[in-house]
Amino acid sequence: MSRLSRLLQSGGPFLGLLLVCGLFALTEERAFIFTGGNLKNILTQTVIVAVGALGMTLIIVGGGIDLSVGSVVAFTGVLGAKLLVAGWSPLATTAALVVTGGAIGLFNGAIVAGFRMMPFIVTLGMMGIVRGSAKWLGGNQTVNAPSDSPVARIMARVDPAGFWPLPPGVWMLLGLAVVMALLLRRTVFGRHVFAVGANETASRYSGVRVGWVKAATYGIAGLLFGFAGLLQMSRLTQGDPTVAVGLELDIIAAVVIGGASLSGGAGSILGSMIGALIMALLRNGTNQLGWQTYSQEIIIGGVIVLAVGLDKWRQGRLARG
Amino acid sequence: MRSLLRVLALALCSAAAVSAAEKTYTIAVIPKGTTHEFWKSIHAGAVKAEQELAAKGTKVKLFWKGPLREDDRDQQIQVVENFASRKVDGIVLAPLDSRALVAPVASALQAGVPTVVIDSDLESDKQVSFVATDNFKGGQMAGEFLAKQLGGKGSIILLRYQVGSASTEAREAGFLDAVKKVPGLKLISSDQHAGATREMAYQASQNLLNRYGKGVDGIFCPNETATIAMTKALRDIGRAGGKVKLVGFDSGTQSVLDLKNGDVQALVVQDPLKMGYLGVMTVVEHIQGKKVAKRIDTGVSMVTRQNMDQPDMAALLAPPIAKYLKE
Repeated sequence: MSRLSRLLQSGGPFLGLLLVCGLFALTEERAFIFTGGNLKNILTQTVIVAVGALGMTLIIVGGGIDLSVGSVVAFTGVLGAKLLVAGWSPLATTAALVVTGGAIGLFNGAIVAGFRMMPFIVTLGMMGIVRGSAKWLGGNQTVNAPSDSPVARIMARVDPAGFWPLPPGVWMLLGLAVVMALLLRRTVFGRHVFAVGANETASRYSGVRVGWVKAATYGIAGLLFGFAGLLQMSRLTQGDPTVAVGLELDIIAAVVIGGASLSGGAGSILGSMIGALIMALLRNGTNQLGWQTYSQEIIIGGVIVLAVGLDKWRQGRLARG
Repeated sequence: MRSLLRVLALALCSAAAVSAAEKTYTIAVIPKGTTHEFWKSIHAGAVKAEQELAAKGTKVKLFWKGPLREDDRDQQIQVVENFASRKVDGIVLAPLDSRALVAPVASALQAGVPTVVIDSDLESDKQVSFVATDNFKGGQMAGEFLAKQLGGKGSIILLRYQVGSASTEAREAGFLDAVKKVPGLKLISSDQHAGATREMAYQASQNLLNRYGKGVDGIFCPNETATIAMTKALRDIGRAGGKVKLVGFDSGTQSVLDLKNGDVQALVVQDPLKMGYLGVMTVVEHIQGKKVAKRIDTGVSMVTRQNMDQPDMAALLAPPIAKYLKE
């Protein structure tokens, strides 16, 4: 491996982050963008996409995809608001949402693995099923959670001007990221996920139980998606069945910008976290520069294509040695 | 290269010097979406305020920014947070939700950025002022107009809009309040909802008219889609054109056409341009330390076939957006 491609492999997302920071540093608005309060702001806005990206990284490394994330976030958010209204404790509610997300994920995984169906189609169907169920559960309306519930404080910024204290949601994200990185890098299961993603047939011949590994990746990711639903509800202080439409695309973009390959077998938790951060930073910065909404969409779209292009080029170099 | 940098540094310094010399107020105007006509009128009003203030020597820089995905609450929260971090001098916000936007507005205020709420109310006391249509009054006007059209007696229908929509519920309440004062009016239906889309509203109207079409004398619809759908349903059964008096709310291309043809007797219209204008004016006055009212009514007008060509009414039906927005 040449030095350049090794640098790109490990540092590509980092370089991207630095580049975006550098671009914003050239503008007059840098005095507003690079403040403690705003950095906390960016981190808080990253949390939901990032928690989703933790799960999505696992799935994409394993050679799959999940389009139902946005719907799962909406569904668990509505469910959470209803449970809180019904008097469930915050802890029990959290557990219920995580388990619900996990169950939906496991169901996705079981169909993908059991019937050898395309994950794209399975989760596309699930996206509609879960979104519709969310609307049914909420009676086509937003469900207001009690705003004095501790759940509402997870994503609340206590002092908007300073960097500290960070909202609990940011710490939870960091903790989960460490757990997921260890799972992916340091466990047998993690190695199997990489193997299945890189070459399914070869892993099957080497004795990896491919079906179980696949089902497990969707299940574990689902737990995280359910948790993201809790965070979304905390942020809105309500369960909104129409929230997070298109969130899955933000999450997939974050994972891809972070260096994962949609053909499986490559990707890292750290990269995905940086990918999520780049997306939030781009949105935050272009907001503050007063750029039009459409220019943001164009820029973020361009960044995604650039990231995938870089990935292709890198793979080409790797193949040639 | 170095000389280029020097020029750049110089430019930055001089820019900083200029802004230090005369204070420019930066105001973020955050609508619910950006593509609808209604929001374009609000934008035009904000630009009008900017121009007028500039003429009086108060420099204002506007940021016009809707949520990245239309009608997405989380995205609108992000926009509010980002402008609060940006330390704009003030925010003018049309909240997508009366609850979800409470925390971001409170935390903006904590960071020293005041917010004026326009269009839809916020369940909070942290906003400087609430600048919007008095929907209850609009409903009352509709009720009084219908009573006069019917000579004080007849059977009437209220086709409601949707559960949980605060603005239209206020219009419905205002309408009921007005018609209850007229003993000759009999309310034969007031518990049906039109729903969000034109198709749903059309079905609801057809169903209602199937049951009450022969006996009804007057109808009130509290929003644009319901008005259009009800007009269409009345035409279908041959009772449009004034046989059944119809009063609607808000104006759109189709409902204005229906008004001209005489199928709709009157439209209660809001003034979004004034809303955007007064929103910016109010937040600037607040920043300058002046006292502003907690609630500012932007007024409603009754547009009929007779007065729809008057310049002031025509301006409400087709706000002069192009005059202020160059895009």
